[in-house]
Amino acid sequence: MSYHQQGSDALLVHRITIALATALLLVTTTAWSEPFPSRPVTLVVPYGAGGTTDISARQLAKLAEPILGQPVVVENHPGGGGINAMRSVARATPDGYTLIATTSSPSFVTPALRDVGYDPIQDFLPLLNYSGPYHGVLINADSPYRTLDELLEAARNGTRLTYATAGALSGARLSFTALSRETHADLQHVPFDGASSATAALLGHHVDIALVPAYRDLVNDGRLRLLAVLDDERDPDFPSIPTLAQSGHDIEFPSIVALMAPRGTPAGRIDTLRDAFTQAASSDAFAKVMKKLNQPVRLMSGEALEAVIEKNLTDYRELASELKR
Amino acid sequence: MLLDAFYALLDVWVLIAAVVGVIAGIVIGAIPGLGPTMAIALLIPVTFTMSPIPALILLLGVYQGAIFGGSISAILLNVPGTPSSAATALDGHAMARRGKAGEALRIALYASVFGNVFSCLVLMLLAQPLASLALDFGPAQMAALMLFALAIIVLFGGGSILDSALMTLVGIAAGIVGLDPIEGLPRFTFGSFAAEDGLQLIPVLIGLFAMSEVLLQAFGGHRQSRPPTKVGSVSGHVGILAMWRMRVTLLVSSLIGTFVGILPGIGSTVPAFVSYGFARSRSRHKETFGQGEPEGVAAPEAANNAVTGGALVPMLSLGIPGDAVTAVILGAFMLQGLTPGPFLFQHHGVEVYAIFEALILLSIPCVLFGLMMFKGAVHVIKLQPRHLFPAIAILAIFGAFSVNNSLFDVGVMLGAGVIGFLFRRCGFPLPPLLIGLILGPPLEESLRQALLTSGGSVDIFLDSPIALGLLGVTALCALGASLQRLRHRRQGN
Repeated sequence: MSYHQQGSDALLVHRITIALATALLLVTTTAWSEPFPSRPVTLVVPYGAGGTTDISARQLAKLAEPILGQPVVVENHPGGGGINAMRSVARATPDGYTLIATTSSPSFVTPALRDVGYDPIQDFLPLLNYSGPYHGVLINADSPYRTLDELLEAARNGTRLTYATAGALSGARLSFTALSRETHADLQHVPFDGASSATAALLGHHVDIALVPAYRDLVNDGRLRLLAVLDDERDPDFPSIPTLAQSGHDIEFPSIVALMAPRGTPAGRIDTLRDAFTQAASSDAFAKVMKKLNQPVRLMSGEALEAVIEKNLTDYRELASELKR
Repeated sequence: MLLDAFYALLDVWVLIAAVVGVIAGIVIGAIPGLGPTMAIALLIPVTFTMSPIPALILLLGVYQGAIFGGSISAILLNVPGTPSSAATALDGHAMARRGKAGEALRIALYASVFGNVFSCLVLMLLAQPLASLALDFGPAQMAALMLFALAIIVLFGGGSILDSALMTLVGIAAGIVGLDPIEGLPRFTFGSFAAEDGLQLIPVLIGLFAMSEVLLQAFGGHRQSRPPTKVGSVSGHVGILAMWRMRVTLLVSSLIGTFVGILPGIGSTVPAFVSYGFARSRSRHKETFGQGEPEGVAAPEAANNAVTGGALVPMLSLGIPGDAVTAVILGAFMLQGLTPGPFLFQHHGVEVYAIFEALILLSIPCVLFGLMMFKGAVHVIKLQPRHLFPAIAILAIFGAFSVNNSLFDVGVMLGAGVIGFLFRRCGFPLPPLLIGLILGPPLEESLRQALLTSGGSVDIFLDSPIALGLLGVTALCALGASLQRLRHRRQGN
């Protein structure tokens, strides 16, 4: 019995030594010459499986896999309108193996309005922007207003107009709050639970205006009228419709869908990831899937995206502090 | 058109997709915490390379199977697999304990199929006009409808009205935790980021119904083992005659399910409880409800399956999904190049009608595999509690965690389990609590939206015929229930 015990003890020590030696070897090779990536990359999607952000991120991951030579595993981490996932990725080891596919609201809208437990600039390094649904200013086709100016004119002269958005803390809401302050128009915000409920409220004539994406078919069908887009450029599906800025208001809500890494990820790895995902996002295969999903492909470099996020974060913080007063 | 669509279904891949979808759906639905949403989301990548009709039939088969599958564990274990089957557990499990598990499962299956076929027929015939009816329900009308549903649960749910009202209020209060729907600011979160999402429905449901059952058994005292519950005849024959006797209940429940399915954001749990309440209020032997009344199984099952067809109405004809499941199905349609919305019927008529027909035909594999699965599943009831409940506890923790991969949800589940245990020990009913939690947040949201739209004036409720009508019916129900009570008391004296 005791012999047996001794034997297994010795075996255990032996095993631990081997394990330690292997671990040491692994650590040194990691530090010195590990080609990146040498294991699967995790891409966190801050929303549930099956939505457009999820499907497009999965497609992008699949296309980037052969370029990176490693699997890209998509993990859904829904909740809090994307904030929960952003917070956990902000705290992930910055080794290039954890990325996030994020959107406007957790990147620069919600953080401007309240404490979310991370700083979008300090904690994240944008790799590239690859999409972003255009948000429109929509009214019913039987509404008397033909242009944004006519609508604002009415709202300045005693008509109280209500506008629906996808939620309390949406960027669309902030841009219209700014618009109503700038033009002294009487615009009342009514938040809904998601863009589809907001669109339904407009179609049922429960509100006067809706600030929502995914309007193409309803406008083409003649049910809704598009007056302007909130983005910084025109929607290619409706080239005759101006942006808010082109309509004479210094306001925009750029919609982004971007890949970001935790700040502190080594520069060499960032370059590898950026090149691989940019190549995947520029491919025809990706364009085809996005067309089916009725989502635009909008490519923008990480630097340009960082500038956009920084500018909007400052603007929205200013607006939020004015609102509180 | 209908014939072309039918020919499109004559394909071996369609058959394989239907069978695989239905089986996967029933199995996944029977596991607490894994609802139809997760099942469909997991299968979407599989459908990437399939052609549209088999791909969508696979996913819709899962949807149908999962909604029915939830009732298997509700009846056999008293652990609802999906929130919508919580109402089925009330009488279904009572029947199972009396050795009528086979009969309860069969009634649930046939009622499910009835509700499903009914709502699919409605969908085929009336998708376009019903979609515009759904749009008439704005914030004011929704607020009135929520109030109506709450009133039905409290007044006709069975037991003491005061108990039900108290439990409903507890549920509504629990629904306040999280972000304010209008201002977006945290309420009662005590600085915890995890609590900002509120108390999620599935962890609370699993805690209230499954975990509290485990605790009841654990603290049940002396009863270490019970004589094995008789399985009864597995083939427990349910004749057409038995179902025919329930025809009015089945029809009314299916109507409720289809109608509520069309409206966005209510889901299938509320219609299940509302139609249970209706069936009970109509019944001549109310006292047997909760003790194993077959109609108490049929009503919620017909209603929650009828939601399937209803929920597809606004999704297909307007591109507006009514709940989480249809939002995921919307994504799947788009990936197949069938963009839901006003142009879907014009551009892809054959595919859409093929899918409608398939939804009805899916009932056949649903019945076949449902009956086959019963043969094995029904023996679960023979297990001794001391063997069964540890497994249920593990399933409960797993189910709560798997919703958002969050340990906070596991805590919520355990907390709900303790609270559910205490309430059950004190004799309070739990379903009204669940309904309060489901209906409280949308009631608050729609009420505040309505008042924002009207600038704070209550005229918005009085000007709308729908809202006014619903408020009137609510008042009538309250009056009717009080009169009935009064009469009972007189008779008692």
